Amino acid sequence: MSVKIRFFARFRELFGADVMTDVVAGTMFTSLITMIAKKNPEGYAAIFDETGAFHEFVILMKNGKRIEIADAAKTVVDGDEIAVFPPVAGG
Amino acid sequence: MISIQTDDVDIGSLIIAAKKHGTGAVVVFDGIVRDDDITEMELEAYEDIAIQELEKIAKDATEQFGLLHVDIIHRIGRLTVGENILIIIVAAGHREAAYAGSRFIIEAIKAGVPIWKKELTKDGGRWVPGEHGHGKPKTP
Repeated sequence: MSVKIRFFARFRELFGADVMTDVVAGTMFTSLITMIAKKNPEGYAAIFDETGAFHEFVILMKNGKRIEIADAAKTVVDGDEIAVFPPVAGG
Repeated sequence: MISIQTDDVDIGSLIIAAKKHGTGAVVVFDGIVRDDDITEMELEAYEDIAIQELEKIAKDATEQFGLLHVDIIHRIGRLTVGENILIIIVAAGHREAAYAGSRFIIEAIKAGVPIWKKELTKDGGRWVPGEHGHGKPKTP
């Protein structure tokens, strides 16, 4: 199944704007983002701390709705759009 | 009008259009690229979501403050010092509601709408740090 991951702002500079990836059923959000982030050490350090947990400031969205980092252990499904970004700074 | 766009807008025309029947006050907020020793500012948005959130903020403000008209135009792309970034136009029957509605909208945008700013300088660039909603700020 296929999942789209979108990065914004500094994370976009590190990973690119959109990443399409094929994943197996039962893959967790955390595992998916970890897998992609590990391709770029600087990017990994921007998103995860030294224990492998998300930095507190990282914001996650699934299909346009914010999800708490605690819910990142849930699994993704085919067609999901996941967004990963730093704190917003509009206005 | 709720919009995320690269082009600037004619604020005067928007003010005229905002004056609906019953309007007693129009408040205009114009956020501008400040000269903080930068060359330009680059803005990006998670557009689909940002528009939805701006529409919800406008609806919430309208209901909460009894507003008669709301425009929110947030620009993206590269802007130079002095250019408009964000224009909020609020019309209400009385000034109290117009000021309060305008303030509600700008604070809600800053708190949660997925838009980011990068200040470009002669030496490169720096992302403007945002506030994050996880956990409460530490108090002394």
